[in-house]
Amino acid sequence: MPKLVDRVKPLKNRKRKKLSAEGRWGFLMVSPYLIQFVVFLSFPLAASLYFSFSKYDMLNAPKWIGVENYTTLIQDPVFHKALWNTFYFTILFVPAQTILALVLAVALNQSLKGLKFFRIAHFIPVICSWTVVLYVADAILNPRFGLANTILVKLGNNPQPWLSDEALIIPVLVAVAVWKGVGYMMIIFLAGLQNVPEDLYEAAEIEGAGVWKKFRHVTVPLISGTTFLVLVLTTITTFQSFEQIYVMTSHLGDVTSAGGPNNASMVLMLYLFQQGFSFLKMGYASAIAWVLFIILFGITMIQLKLQKKWVYYEK
Amino acid sequence: MFNRSKKRKAISYTVILFSSLLMLTPLVSAALNSLKSYKEYTAIPVQWIPNPFQWQNYIEVWKMTSMDTYAWNSFIVTVLSVIGALLSCSMVAYAFARLEFPFKNSLFVMVLGTLMIPPVVMIIPQFMIFNQLGLVDTLVPLWILEWLAQPFGVFLMRQAFLAIPKEYDEAAKLDGCNPFQTFVKVYLPMCKPQLATLTIFTFMTKWNEIMAPVIYLSSEDKFTLPIGILSMSGAWFGQEQYLVAAALMSLLPILIVFLFAEKYFVKGASSSGLK
Repeated sequence: MPKLVDRVKPLKNRKRKKLSAEGRWGFLMVSPYLIQFVVFLSFPLAASLYFSFSKYDMLNAPKWIGVENYTTLIQDPVFHKALWNTFYFTILFVPAQTILALVLAVALNQSLKGLKFFRIAHFIPVICSWTVVLYVADAILNPRFGLANTILVKLGNNPQPWLSDEALIIPVLVAVAVWKGVGYMMIIFLAGLQNVPEDLYEAAEIEGAGVWKKFRHVTVPLISGTTFLVLVLTTITTFQSFEQIYVMTSHLGDVTSAGGPNNASMVLMLYLFQQGFSFLKMGYASAIAWVLFIILFGITMIQLKLQKKWVYYEK
Repeated sequence: MFNRSKKRKAISYTVILFSSLLMLTPLVSAALNSLKSYKEYTAIPVQWIPNPFQWQNYIEVWKMTSMDTYAWNSFIVTVLSVIGALLSCSMVAYAFARLEFPFKNSLFVMVLGTLMIPPVVMIIPQFMIFNQLGLVDTLVPLWILEWLAQPFGVFLMRQAFLAIPKEYDEAAKLDGCNPFQTFVKVYLPMCKPQLATLTIFTFMTKWNEIMAPVIYLSSEDKFTLPIGILSMSGAWFGQEQYLVAAALMSLLPILIVFLFAEKYFVKGASSSGLK
């Protein structure tokens, strides 16, 4: 039996072994990501958690105040409103866009004449910035000479104030967001549909299934994986909606009016932005960010749990 | 059965034609609005077709505002972002796809993990970092992060590299290439479609970005197009046809690229959902 020292020695050697040339290249080549991970992800994550327990205005050093930011949040009526609006917006937008995108993708998933034109028509809104969308939407939603009210009046109804009506604003913003986003999601679904084998449809047809039955019993289960992924991703991004609300509700470029009328379109991200960057309450804004993070984490966990009930995975 | 597929096509056509109409009507109405005089723009009953077409709206708004500055800023941010994304994402992705180094797998799991953290949590400390570096109210914060390999691009390029047979690696090694040379000379040229997709996607995101410019920029001469045009709307009250023209002008570059390279937009969109 060899002595203990002899057995330890190789280990010592291994520890001192230099990184191989390939290993060195590997580290060198991933270094941009490492820098990002340390400087722009890990540190900010820790810092924002600390800020959320501090009073911090960017000018003076953060001062630890415990859970005060969080207790203030619980009593802040505007925060309540923003929380409610964020949920309301997400619950209207995510299902509406998903269902419409799926219907369009199914309709487009065959050899139609003009396929390319249809794809382009649905994708142009995707490439528009929200500033472009603002002025494009004005052609429809302008209370005085927009297309929507022109049609309403022709049909004998009262014209609506659309973006300046407290009850209408969220549904209208949702409609605009669907107009802008549905083409993107349609493309994702189209890619998913292309993976559904044609012979399954043929088998269903032989058994006498119609358009609806084929959709319900072949298409829906087979693309439920794609649907799940899309649902999770859209929920996460919708919960953090900022640009569209900021742009669509700033009247005449007056950004202090964003979220109006009367906070009817105030969402969490916009409130965070105003508290942090307009009022320099960085600690309070960080607390909002963490509440948003925790809620999103919860929702994603619930979605993961529910997925077993409806997502079909091929065995 | 023949009848059924005919019926299916008829339904599909109806759905798609109707929806295309919904998609394009606002764009066409806005395009017409941009060519009207203010009197026509606000006319009741609505005057749909401008008479005559005021093409000079586009020239006048370009001349009378700082749109050239905004466009230049947008151009700088977009170009630097695209270059940075192409270099950093492909390099990092190559290391993950082809090289062996300690902690590789746990590092890659971290890339996955960062996708789960909502960016909102990082905004304030990131602003603080750029503030400390004296880079607030410059264009740097708008493009610099693209040089540090964003996850979407890393995934896209990694998939592409993984599909290339390993034999190429060994052949290059025998020729005396180090891993970096192999990456540049052998791998990159084989992944042009993915590089095109990444270019187009970064271009689209950065050209249209609003949140970062809103947070980081305060001087008007630093504004990019989306927030520059937005900032004009107060001063141009009562002449909105010019604003519509300005907005559509900012769409033009990306629209042209889109019409010529539509398939890469589509590829980018579908790969973002299928990871």
